[in-house]
Amino acid sequence: MLKRSPLYELHKKLGATFTEFAGFEMPLYFSSIKDEHLTVRRTVGLFDVSHMSNIWVTGKEAEKLLTLTTIEDASRIKDGMSQYTAILREDGTIIDDVIFLHLGDKYMVIPNAGMDEVVTKWFNEKAEEYNIDAKATNVSKDFVILAIQGPRSRDTLQKLTDVDLKTVGFFACRYAKVAGEECILSHTGYTGELGFELQVTPTDIAEHIFTSILEAGEEYGIKPIGLGARDTLRLEKCFLLAGNEFEGGHTPLEAMLSWAINWDHEFIGKEALLKQKEKGDYPRLTCLECIDRGIPRHGCEVQKDGKKIGVVSSGTMSPCLNKGIAMAYLDPGYQEEGLEVDIIIRGRSVKAKVVKPPFVKQDWLKTHGG
Amino acid sequence: MVEIRDDLKYTETHEWVKVNDNIAVVGITDHAQSELTDIVYVELPEEGKEVKKGDELCVVESVKSVSEVYAPVSGKIVKVNKALEDTPETINKSPYDDGWLVEIEIKDKSELENLLDAEGYKKII
Repeated sequence: MLKRSPLYELHKKLGATFTEFAGFEMPLYFSSIKDEHLTVRRTVGLFDVSHMSNIWVTGKEAEKLLTLTTIEDASRIKDGMSQYTAILREDGTIIDDVIFLHLGDKYMVIPNAGMDEVVTKWFNEKAEEYNIDAKATNVSKDFVILAIQGPRSRDTLQKLTDVDLKTVGFFACRYAKVAGEECILSHTGYTGELGFELQVTPTDIAEHIFTSILEAGEEYGIKPIGLGARDTLRLEKCFLLAGNEFEGGHTPLEAMLSWAINWDHEFIGKEALLKQKEKGDYPRLTCLECIDRGIPRHGCEVQKDGKKIGVVSSGTMSPCLNKGIAMAYLDPGYQEEGLEVDIIIRGRSVKAKVVKPPFVKQDWLKTHGG
Repeated sequence: MVEIRDDLKYTETHEWVKVNDNIAVVGITDHAQSELTDIVYVELPEEGKEVKKGDELCVVESVKSVSEVYAPVSGKIVKVNKALEDTPETINKSPYDDGWLVEIEIKDKSELENLLDAEGYKKII
């Protein structure tokens, strides 16, 4: 029995074609993946990402619990700020990547779809093990999560709230009334475009907010966006997808997340990471852009001079570049920008080159019209 | 409303066939392209290749999926629609006309009898 978003009926009305993802039946697309993708890059799109999880971390030592269990030192993330980070096992591999929002005396943690129980359990087990006065409560069922993304996202959302959105800086978060309803608002997103996310509870107020946003964005050509475009948008910006980039256990050093590791605090997995860092001989997530025609897919082998050097973790046809793009774990030594490799796609050798992330740069819209 | 043309033959795997003497022009149906949505890549076979009915003829890819197209008849591939390499989306826009995939020189005309007509295809979609 697949779970559904509280907005399922609305999506049906809007003409969604559904897909299964992490145990949820969610819109894959409404018009088409390519159309929705370009709409977000050019103007504004609205996503329902309620399949993602919501956990409240509360208690006197909530900050301490997050500091222990993530690669971030939570004391650095002040009230009204959020942070993208990763939760590690003792062996340094990633359990999940999450965002946490510091809201007053508690934290809203947003793990991936299907990870709510695992992460809640992990937090509570560690709190007990380390004698930390904090508690994690799984409230995923009570929340609808909306994401409004694209160059016109702020103009659209501004119509629905009295909060001056220009004062909500990147990764800032706060409570705000949107379309008359109180939500948690954050300047965050998974598309690489200007955008905001709303945590909405109780779920029965979500439909009103969703349709209000569609109305407000109508003059900008707003569209509802499905998971298909969500994937191509994030991949163009080299954002990770749980299940692809850390299937089979990968550490943040391997997964291009070194920048997110705050080494100045004690955290679960730190020892293992230090050892790995010292040895240095680990595979690294590398961005590949196809030179020959072809679409790399998850699982495709990557070769250099006939020798296997890695595997694709995520691949697609980039709607913006009209080229195949992929992220792949490659053996150390094959990360040099411009290096040519071969991706084996259904038995055919497709030439690709290593590029620096992101695939689609910030100025894409300037050079590709509105 | 997907389009089904009366003057074509069809397969259960959503290919259409237009018979011109001993040449079979092959493509995918309007139903098939609408299920795939944006076709972003087509891998056409080599001209001159021999295929048997039911063999994989070529591959059509959307952003999210890879779809095999099967040979509705046996024969030699005499022509492929090279224009699709640059504009694969033609298949979405014009699945029965500009979006044709290959032309096969038919080896055994009796194989055509096993194909569905428009009515028969309508029933299965």
